[in-house]
Amino acid sequence: MAGFICLISLSLGSTPANDLAFFETRIRPLLVEKCIKCHSEEARTQGKLRGGLLLDSRPGWAKGGDSGPAIIAGKPDASTLINSLTHTGEIKMPPTGKLSDQQIADLKEWVRRGAPDPRDGQKPASQNREIAKPWWSTPPKAPRIPDSTTTQAPIDQFVRARLQSRGLKHAPPASAEVLARRLAFDLTGLPPDAALLASLRADMSAENIAREVDRLLASRAYAERWARHWFDVARYAESLTLRGFIFKDAWRYRDAVIAAFASDMPFDQFVAEQIAGDLIPGGTESERERRTVLATFLLLGNTNLEEQDKKTLEMDYIDEQLDVIGKGLLAQTLTCARCHDHKFDPIPARDYHALAGILKNAQSLEHANVSKWVEVPLPLPPEQEKAVALAEAHVKQLKSRIAALKKTGGPKSTGIVKPSELSGIVVDDTQAKQVGMWMASVHSGSYIGAGYLHDLNAEKGKKTLTFQAELPNSGEYEVRLAYSHGSSRATAVPVTVFSADGEQTISVNMSTPATIDGRFVSLGKHRFEKSGQSFVIVSTEQTTGHVTADAVVFLPVSTTTKSTNLAVESGSLGRLEEELKRLEETMPKRPMAMGILESAKPTDLPVYIRGNVRNPGPLAPRGFLTAAAWNGQPTVAANSGGRRELAAWISSSSHPLTSRVMANRIWSWLMGEGIVRSVDNFGVMGEKPDDPALLDYLAMRLSSGGWSVKKLVRELVLSQTYQQASGEDGWSETDPDNRLYGRARVRRLDAECLHDAILSIAGTLEPCQGGPTFAITLASDQGYQQKGRTRAVYLPAFRNSPHELLQAFDQADSSSVTGHRDSGTVVQQALFLTNNAWVRDQAEKASTRLLKSPLGERADILWMISLGRQPTDRERAIVASELASSANEQSVWARICRALWSSAEFRRLD
Amino acid sequence: MNQPMNRREILQSGCGFGALAMGGLLPGMTSAAASTHHTPRAKRVLFLFMQGGIGQIDSFDHKPRLDTDDGKMMPFDDSRQVANTGTRGSSQRIFRSPWKFSPKGQCGRMTSELFPNISQRVDNLCFLHGMHTEGVAHGPATLFLHCGSSTFVRPSMGSWVIYGLGTENENLPGFITIAPTAGNGGARNYGPAFLPPRFQGTPLGRAGGPSKEATFRDLQSDSDGERVANLLNQLHEEQRSRHPGDAALDAVIRSYETAARMQLTAPGVIDLSRESAKTLAQYGVGSGPTDSFGQQCLLARRFLESGVRFVQVTYGDGSANPAWDQHSNLTKHADHARAVDQPVAALLADLKQRGLLEDTLVWFGSEFGRTPYAERNGTGRDHNPTGFTVWLAGAGVKPGFAHGATDEFGHHAVEGRVHMHDLHATILHLLGVNHEKLTFRHAGRDFRLTDVHGHVVREILA
Repeated sequence: MAGFICLISLSLGSTPANDLAFFETRIRPLLVEKCIKCHSEEARTQGKLRGGLLLDSRPGWAKGGDSGPAIIAGKPDASTLINSLTHTGEIKMPPTGKLSDQQIADLKEWVRRGAPDPRDGQKPASQNREIAKPWWSTPPKAPRIPDSTTTQAPIDQFVRARLQSRGLKHAPPASAEVLARRLAFDLTGLPPDAALLASLRADMSAENIAREVDRLLASRAYAERWARHWFDVARYAESLTLRGFIFKDAWRYRDAVIAAFASDMPFDQFVAEQIAGDLIPGGTESERERRTVLATFLLLGNTNLEEQDKKTLEMDYIDEQLDVIGKGLLAQTLTCARCHDHKFDPIPARDYHALAGILKNAQSLEHANVSKWVEVPLPLPPEQEKAVALAEAHVKQLKSRIAALKKTGGPKSTGIVKPSELSGIVVDDTQAKQVGMWMASVHSGSYIGAGYLHDLNAEKGKKTLTFQAELPNSGEYEVRLAYSHGSSRATAVPVTVFSADGEQTISVNMSTPATIDGRFVSLGKHRFEKSGQSFVIVSTEQTTGHVTADAVVFLPVSTTTKSTNLAVESGSLGRLEEELKRLEETMPKRPMAMGILESAKPTDLPVYIRGNVRNPGPLAPRGFLTAAAWNGQPTVAANSGGRRELAAWISSSSHPLTSRVMANRIWSWLMGEGIVRSVDNFGVMGEKPDDPALLDYLAMRLSSGGWSVKKLVRELVLSQTYQQASGEDGWSETDPDNRLYGRARVRRLDAECLHDAILSIAGTLEPCQGGPTFAITLASDQGYQQKGRTRAVYLPAFRNSPHELLQAFDQADSSSVTGHRDSGTVVQQALFLTNNAWVRDQAEKASTRLLKSPLGERADILWMISLGRQPTDRERAIVASELASSANEQSVWARICRALWSSAEFRRLD
Repeated sequence: MNQPMNRREILQSGCGFGALAMGGLLPGMTSAAASTHHTPRAKRVLFLFMQGGIGQIDSFDHKPRLDTDDGKMMPFDDSRQVANTGTRGSSQRIFRSPWKFSPKGQCGRMTSELFPNISQRVDNLCFLHGMHTEGVAHGPATLFLHCGSSTFVRPSMGSWVIYGLGTENENLPGFITIAPTAGNGGARNYGPAFLPPRFQGTPLGRAGGPSKEATFRDLQSDSDGERVANLLNQLHEEQRSRHPGDAALDAVIRSYETAARMQLTAPGVIDLSRESAKTLAQYGVGSGPTDSFGQQCLLARRFLESGVRFVQVTYGDGSANPAWDQHSNLTKHADHARAVDQPVAALLADLKQRGLLEDTLVWFGSEFGRTPYAERNGTGRDHNPTGFTVWLAGAGVKPGFAHGATDEFGHHAVEGRVHMHDLHATILHLLGVNHEKLTFRHAGRDFRLTDVHGHVVREILA
């Protein structure tokens, strides 16, 4: 109805806000890109100021330069700046080329509107008075605890003080049943077991609750639950949406994070190892392995590796890394400062590029048509290392013998061969599409099929042959070209293979005999998709001498070692290739991780003007966020890429953000909202803390408590504030949004909890200790069927094929930092729970399980494990009436399970 | 991570427009008729996505120069080479179109014989010959087409549209994508990114998959479904009495009521057997190459008719070289044209006959075009993001009209240039939405489909 109400105030017409927006979106970027290089204070300090004109502030252009005021506000025609843009008068600006019509129109419009310009010339935008001192700019200090005379926990004192100031107080404690369910899901992500329920129902003393909490915190389930929280921040996934490429080693990161939460690894160390674990020396093999694996954190982004401009791709990749470091660890939107100084927060583009420079030295990509992430070997225990090294040496030796044999030609086959006698998919020259004049020949007497083609050694560059294959299956193929050799032949024929990974050109020397069976030369192994491009173009471009072509063969890689021509299978080359293949299949493999190659010669990046890699500005020496700096912070040495220093800087107890951001996340994961509600953004456009003192108290407890996440979680869940009853919506007119924490927040059971709860009620939850959870040979995640019955955290985290339930129930978008999940109540969820085959199947299993219990206890058991309470009288009556309606008791229980799991109460957490 | 359930907070989150318009499926927010920036010309959008890249010079952009200079080697700024190596003016062989052009319709527009049926309807079409976009490869360009960004994770256009306008029929999703591609960005192409998850497009089937897969998930229950629903009602009554006046609980319960209505409505909407034999034949359903796409086009019309706001139909597949991607063997374009030509023409005729073309905007096009020269002097064409053609039809655009032009070879857009951002801005404009005002606050910034770009192409507005 009134959908646009809020925007009416911004609607067009020339309001000041609107004019300013026009300046920010159209004019400021234009001035930065085209003008201020020669017309700014910075240009003046560098002696590059032209015409004495400053365009980096309002007073600058109003005063003007050598030609007087550059702009007369409201009068474009009288403004020399505008006149210079037409390139018709004496002054032609910018000198490098006329602006586009649109840009000129924008500038005219801006001047017509009175040239609104917020740049007062006092300070750069990034240091404006308003944003000079963000609330987080000083490190957290231990706040005064409101009432040191009581034994009430400090958290509760902070909350009580704020409640009292508004005439409110804490809600009464939650019931044993509600608390048991809340603790079980919050700490382990699983429903409460019978022991927990019984224990709390018998004894709600603080000592007993603490005992039960400690039991939950010591379980592996705790680590799995809290690691999953972290994966939302780390945008963890095991594939790319682009073509569904699989991160086959990402599970190592998943397992390392779970292990870190299980052992309660200090959070500062956890952070440092994710940024620079690969660079930290010393320790045991398993420690070095863990650190290398944790640094996978930097490589998990969902970046478009097919970008053809690789320089841009590298900066996009770094931008994604800065996004996750910025939002995830510092709750800062660093990447807003890629193209210009941050509009609202104290993050100049220079800081962005200082940080980007550090990551530029951490090479994470190898470039190709589709670039690929770097894989690094993991350390091995000494005895395994020895075996692997031995096998690798053997492989190397075999390969060099094969290469040598291929050079000398190996066994030859001569004479005429029918295409049908060859293995693989054969495209004979008669099937090739010709461009230009090609001549068929049988002159050599040795060829495949009816003969071969040559280019008459004429019209070089105008002729091509296209060998198009219809491949029966997707997969890897070795492509081989047969040609007719001879001394009059061309020595460097460009032959291009077009595959699923793009195109690759190989130079073929046709003056020497072919190396494989005397007929073929290998064009390499390539990945093809059925119905995707699969062809080879033989070109005559820049060749000297005759170009010939006889056939192209596509050999599925699994059969490559068989000789192409059966007649020469006994040849020693074939035998060696077979041996190599066998060895590669059976040899002990060196485990690999997605990793980083640190540059040996560290460099800085320039500030790229407007984020354009083709437009470098002044150098930005490697460094950190200046607004979060403190005296004595780490500095980047000239010979260091800077990642270790960055890790040390972020994980320092002196850092004003790291401890606050994580403490706030922990609060948010337990309480439903952060003290700063915008958990990923502490900037001006985010929210302010509801209670800064409480946040600082928690941050200090984290950093001075040995950075133990577990201890802070424990302190929180043992507080009165956590344990109070939940209130209904509208519980209090004074505090409708529950910003004072006078009640527990009603929350929705998240996707993983729902998944794991249903499996555990059905008794079908399979234990999993980690490791890869899909076939390692999987080439793409497209169309992947999620069949796993483990906890959701272990299901393959595929971006194109997530588990249906997780998708329907708003799992975090694994392409970006998601500290706080959005949730909706949508029809798809209702349909899923009532109709989906997976749910129906689990209900069947649950009903079978229930039938094993005594008749009179079944309803109680089901209600207890599903809702954490006993059925009411009315619910007992509903069950009884349903049981009376059918002779098939199992199908009745299956229906009841489906209805109960669909019900609103099951889907929420009080 | 367990999420708060407080409707007031939901309403207060984000900026006002989005939060209120979030309605799609919020009770009482079934129509956004009164909440556009200006009077809309279109109520809904149909996007026929020709995945892979149709050659503009082989279909709708007639370039006689290619016939006269066929086979000549000439220098061109090839987009891929420029991106990869910075090389300009590489030598390329002019490659004429194998399909003949002739004037069609009253407007006399030149189109090729590749699309004989669509060509008969040129008097309904509005061509944009000066299109250009970002991304030389399918991945980046496909994402750019759908989300306005080739690298960053951004909401899909359909998500923006239903975020802004809600839905016309609360018994059906507001954004449906039929047979979306699993490749080249996959789910991101219909994903909500940072918009609330409810604005995700609902995928039916997959590109290249069998048409029977194109159905709603979990719509059909089993024989127990009715009894489960009955039990659930009873349980909810009791839960309601245990939590009187609990808005969050009520919202969940209401979603089951909506689901029940959708279960009643949707099967009828997707049931093509309700169409006459004549209609099925017009769309080419049941006959060879047109069967699959014909069914999908018919399904699209039924959705539009039922008030679905944004419908996309993809002709493509999940591979790295989707359907229209003829790097070699250009004549294969004819196979794809055969599959889509009759269904699309039938769909246009059908929409017009039913009066739906009045307030439905149809968009037909690819993520980019193809080069006018042979790729590596072979038998196909490489990608061309610097100049290509799309056509629009229906609500608010001039029929029988053409805007913009490429150079004499059909390579670069030179006149009436329309960037993909501009096309997005124009489509939003036709829906009554100002693309600069349709924003969502995320990570401290107001995001738009068109970022900081985009100009409405006023020349084509009827």
